[in-house]
Amino acid sequence: MEPAPAALVLDARGLRKRFGATQAVDGVDLAIRRGERVGIVGPNGAGKTTTLLMLLGAIEPDDGTVELVGKRLPDGRSAAMGRVGFAAGYLPLPDRLTVLETLELFGTLAGVRHARRHAEEVLAELDIARLAQQRVESLSSGQATLVGFAKAVLHHPELLVLDEPTASLDPDVAMRVRDRLERMNEDHDATLLLTSHDMREVERLTSRVVFLRDGRVIADGPPEQVVAEAGHPDLETMFLAEAARRHEDVL
Amino acid sequence: MVRRNLLVQSRNPGHWFLLIVLPLVDGLLFGSIGVAFGEGDAPVQLLVTGILLFHLIWQLTLAGSLGLLEEVWTRNVMNLIATPLTEREFMGSLGLVGLLRTIVSTAVIAVVGIGFYAVAPDTAGWVLVPSAAILLLFGWAVTMFVIALTLQYGDSAEVFSWGTLVLLMPLSGFFYPVESLPTVLEVVARSIPLTYVFEAVREGLATGTVAWGPLGIAAAGTLALLLLSGWFLDRQMRRFRIQGWVTRFT
Repeated sequence: MEPAPAALVLDARGLRKRFGATQAVDGVDLAIRRGERVGIVGPNGAGKTTTLLMLLGAIEPDDGTVELVGKRLPDGRSAAMGRVGFAAGYLPLPDRLTVLETLELFGTLAGVRHARRHAEEVLAELDIARLAQQRVESLSSGQATLVGFAKAVLHHPELLVLDEPTASLDPDVAMRVRDRLERMNEDHDATLLLTSHDMREVERLTSRVVFLRDGRVIADGPPEQVVAEAGHPDLETMFLAEAARRHEDVL
Repeated sequence: MVRRNLLVQSRNPGHWFLLIVLPLVDGLLFGSIGVAFGEGDAPVQLLVTGILLFHLIWQLTLAGSLGLLEEVWTRNVMNLIATPLTEREFMGSLGLVGLLRTIVSTAVIAVVGIGFYAVAPDTAGWVLVPSAAILLLFGWAVTMFVIALTLQYGDSAEVFSWGTLVLLMPLSGFFYPVESLPTVLEVVARSIPLTYVFEAVREGLATGTVAWGPLGIAAAGTLALLLLSGWFLDRQMRRFRIQGWVTRFT
């Protein structure tokens, strides 16, 4: 007998969003089950960030519905966000607080008891405990990205949403983050949803790829299957072909 | 969020200037003008009470609007959206910090008044209690209005955070009856609820009585403004999500 499928952590149906003359997202369906590792990919302008922001309740879709960890958005946003972690490589953390104060703040907001202790543990686990008393604005971009990542995983989220998680990290640090993501997925059954322009990272970290073109899903499945069906040797080549096509369209 | 705002503001020298130095300077400036150009205690009492009440409302507005601007400047808006923090909780934290700022800055002016000019801050009597309540509500209405603008225009709306009340100060007779204004502006002044609060405060300073008539008009006008600002903020928050304005802050 087949085991019952894991519960849905995210269920988005028929998402559409238009900004002026641009149809940014055009009918995206996305159902993600607990423990899955999903990458949303596509060239710039494909609708990745708009989709992510709609999934997090930061942008309201023109059409469609989002259910996040069992809570229907927008009404259930606050209840859902305590079980979701978010980090973006391009997003800085607020100035004038130390790393520990920052993590304590976001841990408390996420409802973590003894947030300071948890923050110290996460910092130690990521091997950045030495940064605890440093002001956020004095961190290098790589260190800040790591702290942003620590913020996202501090409350052991069921769903971890990462937008370009390793964009500004040195290769060895990026490797550490990927290791941690894999461990979270394996040990805690945490679900990963990430966007990245690094296709090798996507191939390593995800077991399912959702490829977007002009706001629509053009492929959805395991990376090797998506690549094979599109007739490309690997995800990188497929991505470059899509980016070139998009570039020609824009020109 | 309250602790976070207090930590951030306490580590920003600009906030200390606005919170301590400016009230100190204003207290000295208006107290000395009262001494120089008036006879007896009455002008000093009027000017010190006026600037004290101005800071009561201005600091609340500053804390609220600069609180959101701080998140805009540090591009922290999306980080906060990705937490369980609700809009009401966020606004509540700004209001609490604003009240703390108000207490500190009015205390500074009160100390200046007592220490340098022998003017007690409660000279106007009981009228100060309803007046302060109306002023704080008016300040909150302005705060909501400025926050609503900031959601759309980002840091371009900064000027409204400190400028709105500076604009209203001469128009609503903080220090003088609005009959002293040019006739055209007197009409404008009559449409501002603050005008009636300061009319009541001057009455309190002169006679020690509570002028409930002007206070009633001020309360009604402030309530209407609160409802209007609340509606505008709610509308802007919905537009923020629908128009995807969050992308301007990332």
